[in-house]
Amino acid sequence: MSTIPVFVLHGLAYASLLFLVSSGLTLVFGMMNVLNFAHAAFYMVGAYFSYSILQATGNFWLSLIVCPLLLFCIGALVERFLLRRVHAFGHVHELLLTFGLAYIMTELVKWIWGNYPLSVSIGSFLTGQVQLMGFTYPIYRLFIIFCAMMVGLLMSLTIYKTRVGIIVRAAVNDSEMLNALGINIPRVFMNVFAAGAALSGFAGVIAGPLLTTYPGMAGDILIDAFVVIVIGGFGSLGGALLASLIIGQLQSFGALLIPKLSLALIYMLMAAVLIIKPSGLFGEEQ
Amino acid sequence: MIGRTYTNVGLWGIFLFVVAVIIPLWFPPYQVTLVTEVIVFALYAVSYNLLLGYAGLLSFGHALFFGTGAYAAAVALNHIPGLSIFGAVVIAVIVTTVTGFVLGGLLLRHKGAYFALLTLAFNALFYAVATKWYSVTGGDDGLSVTRPDISLGIVDLNMSDITIFYYFTLIVVGLVILFSWYFTRTAMGRTVLLMRENEERMKFLGYNTNLSRLILFTFTGALAGFAGAFYSLFFQFTSISAISIDMTTTVLLMTFIGGTGSFTGPILGALVFTYLQDFLSDITDRWPIIMGLIFILMVLYVPGGLSGMLSSLKKRFGRGNYMGNHVEMEGQG
Repeated sequence: MSTIPVFVLHGLAYASLLFLVSSGLTLVFGMMNVLNFAHAAFYMVGAYFSYSILQATGNFWLSLIVCPLLLFCIGALVERFLLRRVHAFGHVHELLLTFGLAYIMTELVKWIWGNYPLSVSIGSFLTGQVQLMGFTYPIYRLFIIFCAMMVGLLMSLTIYKTRVGIIVRAAVNDSEMLNALGINIPRVFMNVFAAGAALSGFAGVIAGPLLTTYPGMAGDILIDAFVVIVIGGFGSLGGALLASLIIGQLQSFGALLIPKLSLALIYMLMAAVLIIKPSGLFGEEQ
Repeated sequence: MIGRTYTNVGLWGIFLFVVAVIIPLWFPPYQVTLVTEVIVFALYAVSYNLLLGYAGLLSFGHALFFGTGAYAAAVALNHIPGLSIFGAVVIAVIVTTVTGFVLGGLLLRHKGAYFALLTLAFNALFYAVATKWYSVTGGDDGLSVTRPDISLGIVDLNMSDITIFYYFTLIVVGLVILFSWYFTRTAMGRTVLLMRENEERMKFLGYNTNLSRLILFTFTGALAGFAGAFYSLFFQFTSISAISIDMTTTVLLMTFIGGTGSFTGPILGALVFTYLQDFLSDITDRWPIIMGLIFILMVLYVPGGLSGMLSSLKKRFGRGNYMGNHVEMEGQG
């Protein structure tokens, strides 16, 4: 019976996308205390940019490099010129701003690319199938898992082994103190926000060929990423990783075993976590 | 102070009511339809502002109450023969009250961004349920609703006539809005305001702040459910859009455009939003972008919304600068 490993891999592929999106979200959340509703919109924009680049050049690797860079710039601009402005008005306004941005980006995408799904063909060796132990599996999904693992590794190396990482972790803990110690906190915030956007855009680029590119993709992954944060706990990268893996498998096997309830399953898990451990699996009590 | 505020609100109320009463006499049915929509959304926005402006709770899940109310009324009317219009509304309010109480118990343990995130996730859950539970909600097809007539003994009110339904909505929903205003003047309403300002102190003074917040959350849920029931009666149809995130966005835009700093702000917002949408959708299919831009510009430059703008104009020659971010305590003197 080769169904089970196939579905495990399916779940892993989705978990990879979720982790790429939610890790940036949770870092920005933990650090700036801003819940970025536009985060998933960056993911969507990444996917659409990639679509256009593929239409123009046909080179998937190019879009894999260019799109995150573009998103990095967009993220930096958003933080510098919009988010920082409303910071003084308080928390509610920051949330409202990112919410409004997500709304506008979705509408702009509908305007420019149309309100229907676009299928993305990458046309390289990635489209093929590979023979694994007794079953064939699309290479592309394995590629997604590989990408997420590489990014996750790179990220944890950066965060736990470099000076930049020390600053970021310290900023999550106590940004005011860090500011007093002479670190340019606004710049750190801007870069982390932009890096989160880039990561999200990267996830969008690799999600496009798998899930097709459509205007609702932002909302779909946003809710799942939120659930990941709730289950994994505030600002916790480890929590985001574990919760992504759980939700990936839950979605994959939910669709296989109880298709009617599969949509509700992750919310049930979320509600259960909220009742038993409101701060999430890895979150600290507030 | 109290006296003046009451007279002001009273005068404005009477003025608005008179205007509303003469609308069907002077304007074509299309305008009557639009104003009916404004009234329904005004209640929805008022209920939202009780959370946002009064309690400082930013929820992204208000549509789940609105939609639950809409579906409860529609399902009740479709399945209970001979149910009156009031019966349907009462059922919707009961269902949303229970929903609000249960969800409030679960969600209100968290505050700020976390609360916002959770409400959005629960809205998505309700949306998913409404899409998938075909046998009850009709899924993507929606449910059609027939407005039952009201029999007043001698005369029957023919509810399928939009003018009669308009007056009915004006009176019933108007009374509920008035009741919500009364609520903000009660001890309970004031507790909510004080809690937002300094919760620690309220706790210290012996107030059970968690309970007050739960009551407020449940109350706003019931109000939104009430508005939702009227929404279904108004369109004579309940679709999946009533419970979608877009409906939360709608109420957020209305409340914010109108201003969260006063009770009447959201009513103004509902009016401006509905007419703006009507106007813009005639010109361009891309009206949501313009709405979004207006919203962003308001967040950036006019955080007090239209009503905040009006009061800052009024207060320009009086007391200093008015931010108008939140409802302020009035009538304490």
